[in-house]
Amino acid sequence: MNLFLQVDPKTFWNAPHGSTELYVKLFAAFIIGIGVAVGLTFIPAQLRKWVVRFVTFGAGLFYVLFWIFPRPISRTPTDAPRGAIEGVSFWIADSQPVIMTLTNVIAGFMIGLGIYSLLRVHFAKIAKQQRDWAYSVVLVTSMFLMVVLGYGDFLQRQNPANFGLADEKNWGLINYGKDLLFDGLLQNMDAGMFSIVAFYIMSAAYRAFRARSTEATILLVTALIVMLSLMGVVEFMWSGVIDRISPNNGLVQSLKLSAISGWLKGTIQTPAIRGIDFGVGIGLLAMGLRLWLSLEKTGGEA
Amino acid sequence: MGNQYLDTGWFMIVLTLVMVTLILFNISRAHGGKDLYIRRISGLNAIDEAVGRATEMGRPVLMVPGLSASVNAKTMQAINIFAYVTRVAARFANPIMVCCADATVLTVCQEVIRDVYQQEGLADQYDVDSVRFISDRQFAFAGGVAGLILREKAAATFFMGEFYAESLILAETANSVGAIQVASSTELTQTPFFIAACDYVLIGDEYYAASAFLTRQPVLVGSLIGQDWCKLVMIALILCGATLNSIQQRGMTKIEHKDGKWVDLPKERAVLAKDTFFSHLLKADPEKNIKLDPPREKLPPDQLPTGGPAGGDK
Repeated sequence: MNLFLQVDPKTFWNAPHGSTELYVKLFAAFIIGIGVAVGLTFIPAQLRKWVVRFVTFGAGLFYVLFWIFPRPISRTPTDAPRGAIEGVSFWIADSQPVIMTLTNVIAGFMIGLGIYSLLRVHFAKIAKQQRDWAYSVVLVTSMFLMVVLGYGDFLQRQNPANFGLADEKNWGLINYGKDLLFDGLLQNMDAGMFSIVAFYIMSAAYRAFRARSTEATILLVTALIVMLSLMGVVEFMWSGVIDRISPNNGLVQSLKLSAISGWLKGTIQTPAIRGIDFGVGIGLLAMGLRLWLSLEKTGGEA
Repeated sequence: MGNQYLDTGWFMIVLTLVMVTLILFNISRAHGGKDLYIRRISGLNAIDEAVGRATEMGRPVLMVPGLSASVNAKTMQAINIFAYVTRVAARFANPIMVCCADATVLTVCQEVIRDVYQQEGLADQYDVDSVRFISDRQFAFAGGVAGLILREKAAATFFMGEFYAESLILAETANSVGAIQVASSTELTQTPFFIAACDYVLIGDEYYAASAFLTRQPVLVGSLIGQDWCKLVMIALILCGATLNSIQQRGMTKIEHKDGKWVDLPKERAVLAKDTFFSHLLKADPEKNIKLDPPREKLPPDQLPTGGPAGGDK
């Protein structure tokens, strides 16, 4: 069974799957990771700020280069750079997946903290038998079962000898258990939660579409026109009336619900969304710039 | 010339650099003590009111920094706003709850919230379980947060960051317990839901203006003014483009841009959108502006970038 399949075992960052080299590298990377994490805790508080700034700037600089420096066009795996510029271009392109993987590694470390937080809260609730502690028991039990059965099923399916698991007839208790928990319960409960949105839309719309002010009235009328234009029968009947009044007059024809709704969406809604989009994009750029240059003071004084 | 320049040439890079320069210039202006004005944002004015109300009712303040799968600029902005909310809540000794959908966000949130309590000299009031991980599955998270809102009867809720289909579930649940709600989603598709269900909504870049408005730090205020200058540049470009295109498309042309050079047309014709100045400015012409390698099959063997069958071993 090979859980460490490598797509392209050619560079320093890879090794042939199942090889001793791969396991040595994994072990070394793990030790280095732990070493770095422990080492960081010994850095004096004043210096820690500068380490964070340095790492943030370095990481940001890489992505700025990745974005600005010309990227290879139609590159094949066997291509070699023909000069310094292409060399840098190839290096950046090759390094990007490794940098991305580093992010995943950090996230991997963090998921442990997430689980710890979850268990801490719910074990405390169970131990003290606080209000609704039974729900915590259900959560911890489901989590434990899902981890055990999910990993059990995953490991079985990774083994090439178990290719028969594609057929339900060859399933065992673990496979049925995982199927029941994931596909039978979790997926359906997800769908159940999602379906609630339909009812919430109705209740929220009922509150929002009340003509309490000029703006709310405009919103109400606009929504009504768009909704009516999407109702086939209403649209058909109204268009019939318009056609009967004046089939060739452009001004009268533009009073069709579909025409008004199209104008609202194309002339009012789309430019407004574009405008907001520009603002959000520029805001994101400024925020990213401040974070990259460590100008942002998170949790600053009020 | 690289792959990323094929679409818009140098224009987008230059425009971005102009914007970066404008933002940095205004930050330096604000640092220099220049008094810069920011308009009032009602959603942010309501924060103190919402926390005060929660204190009067003796119920907690609940904050959700969205569903971001990692710590990014959007999440950091949400955490910045929550730091302010927490500061106000800490001064009133009001309990808070921060619900995270990602473990990295949880870690950063815990650090920031702890820092805020320490800065206020109330480190003993900080409850490590007030910042908690719920789930990284969208609807499990929605269910978990909705349950918390109902059980704890949150008096004020703040939803800031990346929200998707769960936005309305959270907002409507909070509404059902009578919570005062301030929300903002970086996803434009969710903003209408928040507008329908919440008391105050930060729309678009108001979200990114929030920390400048709340803290009045020169860097943030300067950055905000820089953003406004960038928007003015964009508006000017749009107006110039629309005007120039309108004028140009009323005329006739005898030449057109083809295969990297201007050629005479056999017959005069109306100017099309592709002939206009802005069309040429925004769409790079690969034949003229970008020096591309010829197709591989047309290259002589000694000019092929291939370094041998192993690749790179020249």
